[in-house]
Amino acid sequence: MNNSKVMVKIRNLHKVFGKDLHVLDGIDMDVHVGEVVSILGPSGSGKSTLLRCINFLEEPTAGTIEVDGVAIKAGEKSSDHAAKILDIRKKTGMCFQSFNLFPHMTAIGNVMEGPVTVLGQSRKEATPYAEELLDWVGLSDKRDEYPSRLSGGQQQRVAIARSLAMKPKIMLFDEPTSALDPELVGEVVDVMERLAKEGMTIIAVTHEMHFARDVSSRVFIMDGGNWVEEGLPEEMFTNPREERSKQFLAHIL
Amino acid sequence: MNEPSSDVKRGIPPEALEVMKRIDARRRHFSRNLKISLAGMVVLLGVGLVVLGLDFKFMGKWLGFILTGLGFTLLVSILAISLACVFSVIGALGRLSRNPIFNAMATLYVSLIRGTPLLVQVYMWYLALPQIGGALQDLGLVGIQKYLTLPAIPAGIMALAVCYGAYMTETVRAGIQSIKIGQTEAAKALGMTGGQTMRRVIFPQALRVIIPPVSNEFIAMVKDSSLVSLMGVWELSFRAIKIGRRYFQSLEMLILVAVIYWVMCIILQTIQEKIEKHMARGERGEHG
Repeated sequence: MNNSKVMVKIRNLHKVFGKDLHVLDGIDMDVHVGEVVSILGPSGSGKSTLLRCINFLEEPTAGTIEVDGVAIKAGEKSSDHAAKILDIRKKTGMCFQSFNLFPHMTAIGNVMEGPVTVLGQSRKEATPYAEELLDWVGLSDKRDEYPSRLSGGQQQRVAIARSLAMKPKIMLFDEPTSALDPELVGEVVDVMERLAKEGMTIIAVTHEMHFARDVSSRVFIMDGGNWVEEGLPEEMFTNPREERSKQFLAHIL
Repeated sequence: MNEPSSDVKRGIPPEALEVMKRIDARRRHFSRNLKISLAGMVVLLGVGLVVLGLDFKFMGKWLGFILTGLGFTLLVSILAISLACVFSVIGALGRLSRNPIFNAMATLYVSLIRGTPLLVQVYMWYLALPQIGGALQDLGLVGIQKYLTLPAIPAGIMALAVCYGAYMTETVRAGIQSIKIGQTEAAKALGMTGGQTMRRVIFPQALRVIIPPVSNEFIAMVKDSSLVSLMGVWELSFRAIKIGRRYFQSLEMLILVAVIYWVMCIILQTIQEKIEKHMARGERGEHG
């Protein structure tokens, strides 16, 4: 695995909110092409902030982030800084805890929005692939429904299709099932699992045990703004090395 | 949550059906009685006017003449509200801008215009602006006075547009800010630029929030457009007041022109409701 291509490379990443809220404390991370990484950790440990730094929804305070060959150093004053951020965002898809579908567009409208607005395709050009993606997440019959008429699980699946429409190199999932009723979690995890099987590189902040244990290729545990430990899921869940990992896993298992 | 309704129907006991029927009847009675009450009051108003001994023949005779002023009123209002919409969007973007100069300009605009009476502003555009032109001309800007001397109607349109634009700036700003941050983040995560995010995601949603207050502003503006009569434009109220004074029958003329404004505003309100209904698509229906 280690000789395959690196998709995401993070070096010495710091994020400070306000004057002294030090949320990320010198994170290093390598994610290779095709890897599925789960990040676990207590709330407030910085997992979501890390994910949001990767596509620059949060501007890092220090450190470098490289996604698919595009490297950005925090605080750099280069003229193409903004262009590089857009570039990284086009290469990354992101799904949010609260779905954040565009409520004024239908399901298919949401899926086509990226290709049409960002890539400049015509609606006609964008339609076949958008339909294919809706079919892939099992929502062909909801094509023309507005998000308010969809269940949480359906909304999250449309959101996944919306991200995939941009043909991203990597998908970021920020607690994608945390806002769902328990009986709806399965349908979303199922889509994520199929995505992993098709070879998508995935970084997921999740407490969904099936995904973390059976789908991920690596698990990271985070606390206080840095890693506690990382490893293969079977080792991490059966035999964690660190005391803090044991405590945390005892809570959620 | 999504069971077929026939299953639900089978389970409803007769006494519940009875209660549901009563609730439904109560609602229908209310809306019927409301309509009757409204109609009754309008009739009562009409009867009151007859009892006062209004000269309806006189009103009928001048109706056409006064309605000719409707064109000016509508022209001024529609052009002014269109311009005001443009000003308010620019103003709102300025108020939200991180560029200090742009932001300061917008803040000053809103503060200055909201802090002075519309009446003063109307005269400013009509009477004071040419004087400014003269002063600038003396400073060496040859020929500028000609452009700063506005005829009555353009001056009125500018005064109304700039004034309402300032009020609407705050409405638009509030509408934009009411959209959840998650929407911006989702748009950015797709790779949209700030402008694309505003145009495709934020603004269409904000529009739904701003349309009711903006329609309100428009209805208010239709009536404030009577201020252009100050500059001698023969619009609705100017005509009514002139005729009323000339024949010592101001009551008839004022009531006539009031009814015309009222009808116009009822029509506008109906249009507003139609637009709101159209904009509400995508929102959760009553049965959601």
